[in-house]
Amino acid sequence: MDAPLLAFDTSAAHCAAVVVREGRVVQQAFEPMARGQAEALMPLLERLLQAERLAWRDLGAIGVGIGPGNFTGIRISVSAARGLALGLGVPAIGLSTFELMLDGAGLPSASDLVSVAAPRDRAYVQRFAHGRPVDGPELIDLGTPTEFTLPPETRVVGYEAQAIARATGATGDEAEIDDLPARLAAVLTRKAAEGAPAKRPAPLYVRPADAAPSRDAPPEILA
Amino acid sequence: MSRTLTLLGIESSCDDTAAAVVRATGDPKILSSVVIGQTALHGSYGGVVPEIAARAHAEKLDDCVSEALDRAGLALGQMDGIAVTAGPGLIGGVLSGVMCAKGLAAATGLPLVGVNHLAGHALTPRLTDDLPYPYLMLLVSGGHCQFLIVEGADRFRRLGGTIDDAPGEAFDKTARLLGLPQPGGPSVQAAAAEGDPGRFRFPRPLLDRPGSDMSFSGLKTALLRERDALVAAQGGLYERDRADMCAGFQRAVTEVLAEKTRRALAEYLCLAPRHPALAVAGGVAANSSIRAALDAVAQWAGAAFVAPPLALCTDNAAMIAWAGIERMQIGLVDDMTLAARPRWPLDNGSAPMLGGGKRGAKA
Repeated sequence: MDAPLLAFDTSAAHCAAVVVREGRVVQQAFEPMARGQAEALMPLLERLLQAERLAWRDLGAIGVGIGPGNFTGIRISVSAARGLALGLGVPAIGLSTFELMLDGAGLPSASDLVSVAAPRDRAYVQRFAHGRPVDGPELIDLGTPTEFTLPPETRVVGYEAQAIARATGATGDEAEIDDLPARLAAVLTRKAAEGAPAKRPAPLYVRPADAAPSRDAPPEILA
Repeated sequence: MSRTLTLLGIESSCDDTAAAVVRATGDPKILSSVVIGQTALHGSYGGVVPEIAARAHAEKLDDCVSEALDRAGLALGQMDGIAVTAGPGLIGGVLSGVMCAKGLAAATGLPLVGVNHLAGHALTPRLTDDLPYPYLMLLVSGGHCQFLIVEGADRFRRLGGTIDDAPGEAFDKTARLLGLPQPGGPSVQAAAAEGDPGRFRFPRPLLDRPGSDMSFSGLKTALLRERDALVAAQGGLYERDRADMCAGFQRAVTEVLAEKTRRALAEYLCLAPRHPALAVAGGVAANSSIRAALDAVAQWAGAAFVAPPLALCTDNAAMIAWAGIERMQIGLVDDMTLAARPRWPLDNGSAPMLGGGKRGAKA
């Protein structure tokens, strides 16, 4: 029998978590939360496990939302998941917001472009073929999505999907993630069945860190 | 000392990712101490970039913990607790450390101990030299500068500190202004060794005021003025100018720290401690000119001078594990609601010196 699974996500203003047993969601929580996720997350997870009379060591794998999303929020969950995985000796599996978005959009097509909201009128996008990512994620400006070419018959799924689709000649399915625990469960169950991942989960930032090189120009050194 | 305790310590509050295993028996022992620095990541920015630091911590902490356990030859299950820096510091890194520690503590059922980073520094002389309470601590680093009377594992009284920059920041800034490599401490010290400290007369702020508060921001402004005057006059700096400026700068910092330490020592000695001691911690304590001056001041006052080895003066996790041990020994442990705090003054009794508003005092 497959061991129970636990997944959680704090990549936006929420704490979401789910416990899966034998492929079924048995406990779930979604708590809107603008701040305080670092304090709330572990007690929330312990409540879900206790409700199922499970101990941490009963888990077979940990799923964790890796974004893209709020940088700090992603790190809160990824750090906890990596600590848990090391302590329990079980795999931690990263679940991207793209995978979570695509999960609710019916059967994956031969070419999907998944779109997730980004700050300042932009979107994070990633191409998928038959439900699997093909390229790395990108950040696009919604004002100029035309700079972007897509294979014919591509379906755009997610944030501002129709606008992106119009500009690129694709079809668009506007979508949002309105049932996060269920999607965490579904994507984790599918990925856990594929076995332990080669890499530990890492935050999917897409945007580089805001940092400007030093403005202090060094003086000329005379010989 | 009470029962044997072996703790894992985790530190990620600035630009070093660190994990260590420390065992307290009659004679405490550092079983391992791993520090992964980020100097190269921040090099081109002229200082630590918080988001870059946070990204690096999040993906290195578990490796660092594994390596510390491996080097100690122990498994997680052989620990008695997990201590983690819960502040003050760059919040992204502190959060990653706290969450990693919570994951480890949940997985193993071990007690979780949140440690104030400054307490880690302040308690290090007890790990290295078994120093009895109360002692005077000068904590002087890139982010901090304060005098503390250390009375217990959770009892600290601040006598004074910087009202603006920390000396470590001033060393880094000096290096940037003069085109020397980062971190500034070692490069400024090396250049100063060749220079004439008497050529430039830099200010000694707050020496004319009573007490042990300090200020270092005016010093870098004065240095910038001298540099710009020379560049305007001769089109650049000669090596000689640079060495002289470093020497003058280092002497100014040394004299301010020495004089303020003398005053803090006088205040501390009023407590009539049985074994009077001055201890230093923080990266700036590695500067040999400053160290020699502090040693002389302590001798003059009849106090022992304790400077832990450099690797334990700069950021490390052995000090966090040790502070965790001291807290556990007096029954202080945390639960899964432990918060990461960007600001967390050690001494809640004294009036705040730096910062305020909704985020609270910085020091």
